[in-house]
Parts: sequence; structure tokens; C-alpha cells
Amino acid sequence: MTQPLLHVEDAVKRFGGRTALDGAHCSVATGSITGMIGPNGSGKSTLFNCIAGAEALDSGAVYLRGARIDRLAPHAICERGVARTFQLTRLFRDMTVLENLVAVAHTFSDRQAVERAIHAMELLEIPELMHRPAGDLSYGQRKLVEIGRTLMLEPKLMLLDEPFAGINPRLQNRIVGYLQKLRGEGMTLFIIDHEMRIILDVCDSVWVLAEGRIVMNGPPQAVRSDPRVIEAYF
Amino acid sequence: MKFRLALAAFAALAAAVVLFGNDYALTFTIQLFVFVVLAYAWNIIGGYTGYSHFGQMSFFGIGAYVGVLLMLHLKWHWLGAALAAGGAGLALAVPLGWIMLRLKGPFFAISLFGLTRVFEAVSFEWDALTGGGTGLYLPPINDQRMLYLALALLCLGMLMLTYWIDNSRFGLQLQAIRDDEGAAEALGIRTTRLKVTAFSLSAVPAAACGALFAAHLAFIDPPTAFAPVMEVTTIAMVLLGGLGTILGPAIGAVTFAVLNELLWSRFPDLYYGLVGLVVIACVLFMPRGIVSLLVRSRLIAPGRGAFRRIAARSGRAP
Repeated sequence: MTQPLLHVEDAVKRFGGRTALDGAHCSVATGSITGMIGPNGSGKSTLFNCIAGAEALDSGAVYLRGARIDRLAPHAICERGVARTFQLTRLFRDMTVLENLVAVAHTFSDRQAVERAIHAMELLEIPELMHRPAGDLSYGQRKLVEIGRTLMLEPKLMLLDEPFAGINPRLQNRIVGYLQKLRGEGMTLFIIDHEMRIILDVCDSVWVLAEGRIVMNGPPQAVRSDPRVIEAYF
Repeated sequence: MKFRLALAAFAALAAAVVLFGNDYALTFTIQLFVFVVLAYAWNIIGGYTGYSHFGQMSFFGIGAYVGVLLMLHLKWHWLGAALAAGGAGLALAVPLGWIMLRLKGPFFAISLFGLTRVFEAVSFEWDALTGGGTGLYLPPINDQRMLYLALALLCLGMLMLTYWIDNSRFGLQLQAIRDDEGAAEALGIRTTRLKVTAFSLSAVPAAACGALFAAHLAFIDPPTAFAPVMEVTTIAMVLLGGLGTILGPAIGAVTFAVLNELLWSRFPDLYYGLVGLVVIACVLFMPRGIVSLLVRSRLIAPGRGAFRRIAARSGRAP
């Protein structure tokens, strides 16, 4: 069996008396689009925060290509190839879209960084937003810019925290198209979202989280008809 | 081009004061330059990085004492003493920044203010080294034109440093920290290293400036070295001119100093209050400072033009 790109083992995270993750585990295969679904408060975003280093696990471990990363600082995890978007977009509001993208391009010269930023904007069909301040963008546009910003990092694994939430179906379909294109280029994507329809359509494998635990994992068609999922999710 | 024009205008004005000004003009401009340097220094950490604080005078005061002690006991030239004071500022800023920059918002701002008060108290009590409340006296510099020139060059250096910050990825990353530090860290920006660098870049000129100011006065004592009023004045200047901008600190310092001087000469009993009212009005009605007004009126270009220009040269920008 090939080693997964990402593996989370027995993740436990408590906030005061509340247990957000209660021994959750999951794996993401290289080159896949993997999804995670679960009701509100099931611990999805906490899991992403723990993978990205924004929160420290109380116990358990996170491995990237077999190397443990859960004790690293967020920037060090990012340098190892994990880039993320946020549930509520967190662009640098006072900067333009171009500057948002260029600011995180660490390994390139200024000219290369701008070239890459333009390429990312062209890929996402937003070059006209280049000089717009991020604070002036619509929510959907901000979602696209966040995806563009992670592309600047040339990640091995992209963590997308609710990329389809709060945007219209047309834009949702556009984003699905971009994600499939990125996967076609060899990128691995791990998505959490409430949009069951999209997650089950687009993902190769889906994990279902409820009350901080994984209740099932499998291909979308198996997840869709599983009574535990129906019970946990609906 | 406009930036070069601003540099040329500054050089011409600075030269005019030396060539045609009297002693009053020279002294006024030296003190103005001190504030310009302090405002630019504070702007790096407070304006660009978003870590506003009330501890700038720690570096200014320690720089002043280091400079005076070197000039007094080791007979160093004021220029060498100022450079050494800058070094002392760096030596203090790196460990201090590493520890203090873990704090955020008002906690960071007030803790550094408290630290300045600690330095002031130590300099009061450490009689043997600092002369305590009596202070330390230096032989006065009769011809202050070279001191003036050194401060003018320091101002110019700060202007150029700020221009570079404004147009570099380093500057963008500082602003990313200001806008959302958590997101910046998650996107691979080494926030701690950058914050300490910004803090140090802010501390070094403040410390060097302290030594030059002490040489100008030929005297230093704790209330002068660690003066809270200078701290607040510096911050007010940056707010007035425009936080996190290239020209804001200079414009704010000049406006504030001229206003201060005009009001002081006409209303000696009320001038502090009047200056305060003007600053409050400016911050209320121009929260982004005078620079934003000039940008809106198209008198100066908005900052951070470097990446826009690179994109335009690529031929793929809309």
C-alpha cells in the first residue's frame, strides 16, 4: 500500500471542557481530491487548524509523507508544502489582489512572483481584479483570491476550508472546474464543506466526521447511502 | 521620478537652512530632524507592521546615554558615539523584540511604555554612571552644522529605507502581519523573524538619534532621555502624516513642528492644548493622514507602486 500524503492519527483537541476532536483519524492519498463532511461543530475546521499548525493537538499526530509535522510552527508546515484557505476568508484587506498573491511568494524574485501571480489570476479568470483592494471584493471573489494565494506557494497539499460556502451555484461550479484542473496538474486537495452535492460529486474519497470522530470513510457512492452518515449529517 | 523630486527638494531645503538660515533656524531644523527620524523609525513597526507601541523612547534614551558616556569618558567623536549608540539599540532590540513581540495590541503598547519607565527609573538611580537626576554634561559643540548634516543624512536614509520597505516583499509581508498575522503565519510568512527585524530597524535609528540629540544639547538627564511627551509627539506626527506611508512621517513631523512653533509663539499658555485639538481634529477627519488627502487630490501617487509597475511591464496586466 502506498504511503498517504497526509495521515492524521488519533487526533484529540479539547477547548476547556469541550472536546472538538476525539481521536479523529484520516488519510489523504497523493494526487486525490479528498473530502470531509460533517455537521456544524463536528470538528472539521479544528482538524484543519491542527493539520496547518494553527492549533496544537492535545494528543495524536499528523504526518506529511511519513514525517511528523504536528509540532511545527504554521510557517514551517507551509514550507513543507501544506497551504490552506480559511472558512471565513482572510485576505490582507489593505493590499491589492496582486499584492496579496505576491506577499506570500517566498522563493521567487519579484518579477517571477508577479508573473506567477498573473498566471494564477488568469487560471482563476480574475486578472481584472489585479489592482483592486482585497477589502473591496465580493465574498465569492475573495474565495477565488484565497485559492490563488495558496497556488503561489506551489503546495503539495491544498487544504480548502469550505470553499463553496456562501457563494452562488455558478461560482461553485467554476471553483469545481478549477479544482479538477489543479488535480489534473498533480496537486492533492483536501476539502471540507457542507455542500454534500459538490463534495460527493468531486471527491475520490470522503471522510465523515461527527462529534470529533470519524464515523465512516469511503468512495462518495458508499458515503451517500450509509445510514450512519444519514444519521450524523441529517 | 516623483520620489527623486522629493529627495531633491529635501536636499535643497536642508542646504538652504545651512547656507541662509540663522542659529534659530538651525536649532529648529535639528530638532525637527530628530522628530522626523523618530517618526520614520516608529512608522516601521507601528505603521507598516501594526505593532503600535509607546516604547520608542527606551531606545532613544539608551542611545543618548551610550553616546554621552562614550563622548564624555572615552572622548569619542559624536559621530562614532552615535554609530555605537545605534549598535547598542540593535543589541537591545533583538532580545527585547523576541520577548515582547509575543504580546499584541494594547498589551504590547503598554508593556513597552512600562519598560521605558523602568529604564528612566534605573537612570535616575544609577548615579555613578548616569549622574542621576543631575544628568551628564558635555562640552558644547559650537558649530552644529556637521551635526545638522548628519541628522539630515539620517532623515534621508530613513526616507529611502521606508521607500524600499514600501516597495518590497519585505514591506508587503510586514503589512500582511498588520492585516492578519495568523493568516500570514499560515501562509509561510516567518512572522516572528520579520517582526523582530522591523522592531530592530525601528530601534537602531532611534538610538543613534538619541546620541545625536544629546550631543546637540550637550546634556542628558532621565526626563530628557525618556520623555513621554516626545513619545506621544512622535506618534501624533505619524498619525497626522499618514500611518504606514512613505511621506507620512515627514509631512506629519513638519506640519506638527511648524504648528507647534506658531502656536507656541502666539499662545504660550495654551499651545499644548491647541496642538492637541488640531491633532484630534486631523485624526477624526483624516484617519489616514494628510498623505491620503494628497493622494486623493492626485498631488502624490499612492504607495506600493513597484509590483504594479512590474505587472505593467509584463504586458499581461489589464
